[in-house]
Amino acid sequence: MSEWGQRLRRLLLAALIIALVVTSMSLTAAPRVRVERVSNWMATVVSPISFSLSWIGNKVGGAVASVGRIYGLEKENKVLRSQLLEYNAMKLELTQVLADNGQLRSLLGLKTALVGWTLVPASVISRSPSSWFDTVVIDRGSNSGVAPGQSVIIAQGVVGRVLAVSPTTATVMLILDPKSGVGAVDARSQAAGVLIGQTPVTGELTFQLFAHRPNIQPGDAVVTSGYSQYYPKGLLVGQVVHVTTTQFGLTETATVRPSVDFNSLARVMVVVHHPNTTSLPPIFGGGAR
Amino acid sequence: MASWQRPIYWVVLFSLGLMVQMALLPEVFPAGYVPNIMISLVVVLALYESPRGGLVLGLVGGVLTDLFGGRLIGLNMATLALLGYLIARYQPNWRHDSVFLPGVLGGASQVLVTVLQWLLLHVIGYPVQWQMVSTALPYWVLFSMLFTPAVAGILGVRPSESRARRRGR
Repeated sequence: MSEWGQRLRRLLLAALIIALVVTSMSLTAAPRVRVERVSNWMATVVSPISFSLSWIGNKVGGAVASVGRIYGLEKENKVLRSQLLEYNAMKLELTQVLADNGQLRSLLGLKTALVGWTLVPASVISRSPSSWFDTVVIDRGSNSGVAPGQSVIIAQGVVGRVLAVSPTTATVMLILDPKSGVGAVDARSQAAGVLIGQTPVTGELTFQLFAHRPNIQPGDAVVTSGYSQYYPKGLLVGQVVHVTTTQFGLTETATVRPSVDFNSLARVMVVVHHPNTTSLPPIFGGGAR
Repeated sequence: MASWQRPIYWVVLFSLGLMVQMALLPEVFPAGYVPNIMISLVVVLALYESPRGGLVLGLVGGVLTDLFGGRLIGLNMATLALLGYLIARYQPNWRHDSVFLPGVLGGASQVLVTVLQWLLLHVIGYPVQWQMVSTALPYWVLFSMLFTPAVAGILGVRPSESRARRRGR
């Protein structure tokens, strides 16, 4: 074949490859159950290694953090010594307060509050290898009753929802993911909108409000609206940090800081079943309504 | 190593790298700042490959990363294959050493791959804010510059003159 022919062949091959890659990426840009299932099965195969490495990483991270803390300890020690005298004086009073508090806590009782809810506890064993989206793999799957679409929470608030499951693991899309959308309302004013993940770097969410002039202020608590099929109504998502008006002043968006610390996400709970009523315990945001 | 063994070696190595990236590094780095160690692996391995070998090894690493990610299949495949090819294609022009070259290439490759992926994401309608890239990129580059020579050391990948000197000793 002539040199020109070879060049043409290479060019055609390159064009074909680019077309294939773009098509593949376009088709798999949104979460697709079949593709996620393949990924989830692969995660299942390597889950023992992932679990071990995650454990090692946790210990290493703890050790590194301990070394960093040493520098501040001397200064802190002086302050603590002066505070010790003060605290000793408060000790008797605190003993009484703690006793009362313990009684109240037992009365409140998280288990009693969660009557009708079926929660499956799980550990995070790995995260997505890509920086562009935020998913984690947990060590509970269909064998434990976990199914796609179920919401994942911790005591501080909403974590995300299950995308795909295998018998022993499940892939969870975090609310920080740019493709994650959570129907939410401002707990104070009931202004409704959708929370969309910004970037994992900022760790914040964009609250796109439906109303033209919504009554929303920094400091407001944001909870799930229950409009979406995935998240039960009234779960705490985060707090409004600031409100901005869009370019032409037609709509407003708010930046919301999630109540969950995604950096230290180790144990989560999958909501396998929840009652249709909205009487949530205050710890999950229900008290804020 | 026989030519048929190399792809197996790459698959094992890339799988181990992904395990470290998915399970170990997120425990140490904050969310959003977890560096991409697959880039370092592709750079180190492609430094001593033919252009075709570099392309194939980048492809292998990219396919595995995409499959483990479960979304945007083709993103890492295309960019890492291109990276592997470019490194292998131009490596004969560079003076090889064990530390400086892998370090510089690791950092530069991190910039190249991140910007390429960011552009590709925009092309397919998956816009990611530039803020994410600009905030985290310096950390990723710094990590790659330190991590890539370390990977070269761990894998025992050395320039041919250095290997000859060791044998002569």
